[in-house]
Amino acid sequence: MRIKKPLRNAAAVAAIATMAVASLAACGSDSSDGDASSDGPKTADIRVWLNGTDTPQEARDWLKKTFEDENPGSTLTIEQQEWDGLVEKLTTSLSSESETPDVVEIGNTQAPTFTSAGAFSDMTDQLDSLGGDDLLQGFVDGATVDGATYAVPYYAGSKYVFYRKDLFKAAGITAVPTTMDEFIDDAVKLKQANPKPANFSGFWFPGQDWRNGAAFIWDAGGDLATADGDQWSGALESPESIAGLETAQKLFTEASGAAKDGNEADSWTPFCAGEIGMVSAPGWIKGLILDPKTGCPDTYGKQIGVFALPGTDGQPAPVLLGGSDIAIAAKSANQELAQKAVALMLSKDYQTIMAKAGLTPALNSLAPLLGDDEFAAATIAAASNAKLTPAAPGWANVEGSRVLEDLFSGLAQGGDPAELAAKADEQMNEQING
Amino acid sequence: MPRPASRPLRVTANVVGVIAFVIAAFPVYWMVNSSFLDRNEIRNPVPTWVPFGGDLDNFRTVFEGDQFLNAMKISLMVTLLTIVVALAFAFIASVALSRFRFRGRMSFIVTLLIIQMIPVEGLFISQYKMLETMNLLNTVVGLSLVYVSLVLPFTIWTLRGFVTGVPYELEEAAMMDGCSRTQAFFRITFPLLAPGLVATGVFGFIQAWNEFSLALIVMTREDHRTLPLWLSTFTDVNRGTDWGGIMAGSTLIAVPVIIFFLVVQGRMVSGLTSGAVKG
Amino acid sequence: MTDQIVGKPPRARRTPLPYLLLVPAAVALVVALGYPLVRQVILSFQDYGLAQQFGKPPEWVGVDNYRDLVTDPYLWRVTLRSLVFCLVNAVATMVIGVGLALLMRHMAKGVRLLLQTGLLLAWAMPVVASLTVWQWLFDTNYGVINYALTKLGFDFEGHPWLLQPLSFFFVATVIVVWMSVPFVAFTVYAALTQVPEELMESAEIDGAGAVGRLRHIVFPAVRPVLLVVALLQVIWDLRVFTQIYILQQAGGSTRDTNLLGTYIYRLGIGGGKFGMAAAVAIFMLALTVLLTAPYVRSMLKQERED
Repeated sequence: MRIKKPLRNAAAVAAIATMAVASLAACGSDSSDGDASSDGPKTADIRVWLNGTDTPQEARDWLKKTFEDENPGSTLTIEQQEWDGLVEKLTTSLSSESETPDVVEIGNTQAPTFTSAGAFSDMTDQLDSLGGDDLLQGFVDGATVDGATYAVPYYAGSKYVFYRKDLFKAAGITAVPTTMDEFIDDAVKLKQANPKPANFSGFWFPGQDWRNGAAFIWDAGGDLATADGDQWSGALESPESIAGLETAQKLFTEASGAAKDGNEADSWTPFCAGEIGMVSAPGWIKGLILDPKTGCPDTYGKQIGVFALPGTDGQPAPVLLGGSDIAIAAKSANQELAQKAVALMLSKDYQTIMAKAGLTPALNSLAPLLGDDEFAAATIAAASNAKLTPAAPGWANVEGSRVLEDLFSGLAQGGDPAELAAKADEQMNEQING
Repeated sequence: MPRPASRPLRVTANVVGVIAFVIAAFPVYWMVNSSFLDRNEIRNPVPTWVPFGGDLDNFRTVFEGDQFLNAMKISLMVTLLTIVVALAFAFIASVALSRFRFRGRMSFIVTLLIIQMIPVEGLFISQYKMLETMNLLNTVVGLSLVYVSLVLPFTIWTLRGFVTGVPYELEEAAMMDGCSRTQAFFRITFPLLAPGLVATGVFGFIQAWNEFSLALIVMTREDHRTLPLWLSTFTDVNRGTDWGGIMAGSTLIAVPVIIFFLVVQGRMVSGLTSGAVKG
Repeated sequence: MTDQIVGKPPRARRTPLPYLLLVPAAVALVVALGYPLVRQVILSFQDYGLAQQFGKPPEWVGVDNYRDLVTDPYLWRVTLRSLVFCLVNAVATMVIGVGLALLMRHMAKGVRLLLQTGLLLAWAMPVVASLTVWQWLFDTNYGVINYALTKLGFDFEGHPWLLQPLSFFFVATVIVVWMSVPFVAFTVYAALTQVPEELMESAEIDGAGAVGRLRHIVFPAVRPVLLVVALLQVIWDLRVFTQIYILQQAGGSTRDTNLLGTYIYRLGIGGGKFGMAAAVAIFMLALTVLLTAPYVRSMLKQERED
C-alpha cells in the first residue's frame, strides 16, 4: 500500500498531462455538428431557446415537425432554458458566433435592454408578413428602437382577480365589483368580515408586489416614469401617482394580511389555507389550486370566481402586461431559416395551440380562441387595457435595484406616500436613462 | 486519540456535539422531509414534521426522462477532473513552497493570496470569452479548467499549511534509520498529509459539485447540464416552483458527496494508521 | 523523482526543482484567470455595456467609473455595512468552527461521528435547497420557527424576521455561519489530527494543563491552517452574495440591506454596466487587500522567521 503511493502519484501526473494535451488539441478542431458555412445557408440545425414550461409540448412538437417538413435537410432543436439566469445566459451566448442560439424567447420587459444593444436582428421588413397591425402593438413598440423593430410578440398574459364566492356571499357582497371604488370597499369589507385568521386578506397584497401595485397608479392617472423627449424621469411624485399610492396603501393597511415585506410568489398557498378573499394572479394558478397535490380542489377550490380588476371608469383597470417576445440572434449564421421558424411560431396553427393553453395569442384576431368561459373572459378583459413598463433605456437597472419593491414595501409598513415617492423618484432618476 | 480528558470536559463536548448536530442537520432533515410531501403540505400554516403518509411522487418526477442521470454523469466528470487536477497540482506546488527556499517564493505565495481575493462574480463575461476562443464552451474540460482555477489557490494554501505542519525532524529521524529522503517523505510526511488532502479534496468536490453561476453560462446545451443546472429546471417563476421536486432532487444530489466523503474518510483513517509515526 | 524532492527547509539550494513543481499550478492559473483578469482591469477604464458586448467599440473613460463610484455616499454606507457584517460573520464562524473541532477530540466516538455526519450533510446540501429551506424556516406566515416559538408561548405569530435591517442581518448571519462552519470545523479538525501524538504526550509529561497545551502545542502546530482558514472566511464573508440576494427577494428593504456583493450585482450585471461592475470589483479587491494587509504581513513575517 505504502509503496504504491508514489506510483499512483506519477500516474496522476501522467493523466493530467494527457488531459492538458487533449484540451489543447480541442482548440484546433471544431467538434460542433453541422458546419453551416460550407453547406451554404440552405440547411442547418436551428436552435430555438424557449424559457420555462409556458410553451405546451404540443406546440413544440408541431413546430419541430412542421419546420423540418417545410425545410428538408434542416432540423430544429428546442432547447429549454430557465427564466432564472436568462439575462446572464443571453448576455454571453448571444455574443458568441459559435454558441449563439438562432431564435430566442425573452420576457417582454427584458427585451428593450437587448434590442437597444444590438443583440437581435432587425425584423422590421418581416413585420407585415408576420401579422402587421394584428400583432400586439405594445410588444412591438417595446421592441422598437429608432424605427427598427428587433423582436415580435410571442404571447401575453395579464393578472386578473381570483375570489372566493362563499366569502363574498357571507360578507353580503352580491355581485363582483365593477369599479375601483367598489373593489376597494369589497376588499375592506371582506377583511372585516373575517377577523380570523389574523393574517386574512380581503385582497392579498404582499409588500413587494409593485407589479400589481402599478395598476392603482395607472388607474389614478399617474405613471411610473415619463419621457420628455429622450430624457426619462420618475413620475411617482405627481399628484395622480400619489393618489394611486394612497389607494394601494389603503389596501395594504385595511384589506391585506399578507407579509408587509413579502413577495407575490406562491399566492395559491394562502388561498388554499383559507386566508384569502381576493388575489390578483396569473391565470395558470387556477390549475395549481385545482390540483390535489398542490392545491385544494375539494375545499376552497370549489369556490373560485374570477373577474378583471375594474378601473375607476368602470372599464378594466390598466394592469401590467406580461408576456414574451421572440427574436432572432444577430450573430446567428442562419438568418433565413431562423426567420422561417419565427414565422411558424406566429402562424395561426401554432398560436391556436398557445391560446388553448390559456396564453393570450400574439395576434389580436386570435383572442377569441381563448374560449368563452369566465376565465377566458377575464383574460381578455384584463389584457384589453393592460400597460407595459416604461420603455426607458435604463428600466432594467431600475427593476434590478428594486426601487419599486422598496417603495411598496414602505407603503405597506405605513410610510408617508409623498415622502416614499420622492425618494423612489430620486433613485429612479439616477438609473432610468441608462 | 488524545489522552482521556477530564469528565466535565467530556460531558460538555458530548452535549455541545449533540446540539451542534441538531442545528447542522435540521435544515437537511427538512429538505428530506419535504421531498416526500406534496406541494400543499410543504407550504402550509401547520408544518408537517414527519413525512408519514408522504409518497415517492417527487422522486418519480426526478427520474422522469434521462435528464437526471445525464446531469449526474456530467457533474461527476467535471468534479472528478477538477479535484484530481487541483489536488495533484496543488500537492506538488505546496511541497515546493514549504520544503524549499527559493527566489520568488514569497511573491508566488502573495500572488496566490491576491488571486483568492479577486471577486470572481464579475469575471464571468471575460471567462466566457476566454473559453469561446479556446473552443471549450459546452465541454467538460472547459468548465473543469475554470473550476480548477477557482479551487487551486485555496488548495495550495491549505496543503502548504499541512506540509509545514509536519515537523521536518520526523523525516530526519527516519533518515537516520536509513530511509532515503524520498522514502522518508512518502513514509512519514505523506501519510500525515492524508487529512489535508481529504479536507481540501472534499472542499474542491463540494465547490465543483454545487457551483451554479459559471456552469449556467458555460453549459448551455441541454445534454451538458450539471446537476445544479438541472435542479434549476424545477424553479419556474412563471408557473410556480416545484418545491417537492427541488427537495427530492437536492436530496439525491447530496448523496454522491456523502459517498465521496465516506470513501476518502476511510482512506484518511487507514492512511493515518499505516503511517510510520507509530512504528 | 530524486532525493532532492525533500530538501531541508533552512538550507537554500540552487536547484530548478521548486520552480518545476510550481509550473503546473502557475500555468493553470494563468490560462484560466490571466486573460479574464487583464480584461477586467481594462474594462474598469471603459464605458462598457451590453451594446459593447455585442460589438460596439467601447469608449475609454479614464477613471470616470472610479470617480462615479467613490463620490457616491451610498457606496461608503454599503462598504461600512459590509465590513461589519464580514467581521461579525468571520469571527462567529471561526469561534464556532474551531471550538467544535477542538471539542471533537473529546467527544465519545459515536457523538463525534454523529456531529461529523451532521456537518457534512449541512455542507453537502445544495445551495438552492439550503437557502430555500432557511427561507421557509424564517417565513413570516408559514415559518417553522415562528410556529414553534408561538407554540412555546411566545408571541411570534406572523413575526416578520426580515423587516428590520438588524433582524435581516441576524437571519443572514445564521445562514452564512451555518453554511461556513462545516468547512472550518473539518479543516481544523483535520489539521488537529495531524499533530503527532508524541508532541501531545510529551506536553502531558511536562505537565502542561489543557489551556497551556492549547496555547503552546496545539495552536502553533495548526497555525498555518488556522490562518488560511480565517483569512478565507474574511475574504468570503466580505463578498457574500447569494444569501443576501435570496433573502432580499423574500423580504426586507433592499436599499437598507445591500452589501457590496449585491450592490455590484445590481449596479453592474443587473443593469448591464460591465465597466462599472469591473471598477467595483477592483475596488473590492483593493478593500480586501487593505483589510487583510496587517494580517498577511504578520503571517509572512512569521514565514520568514521560520
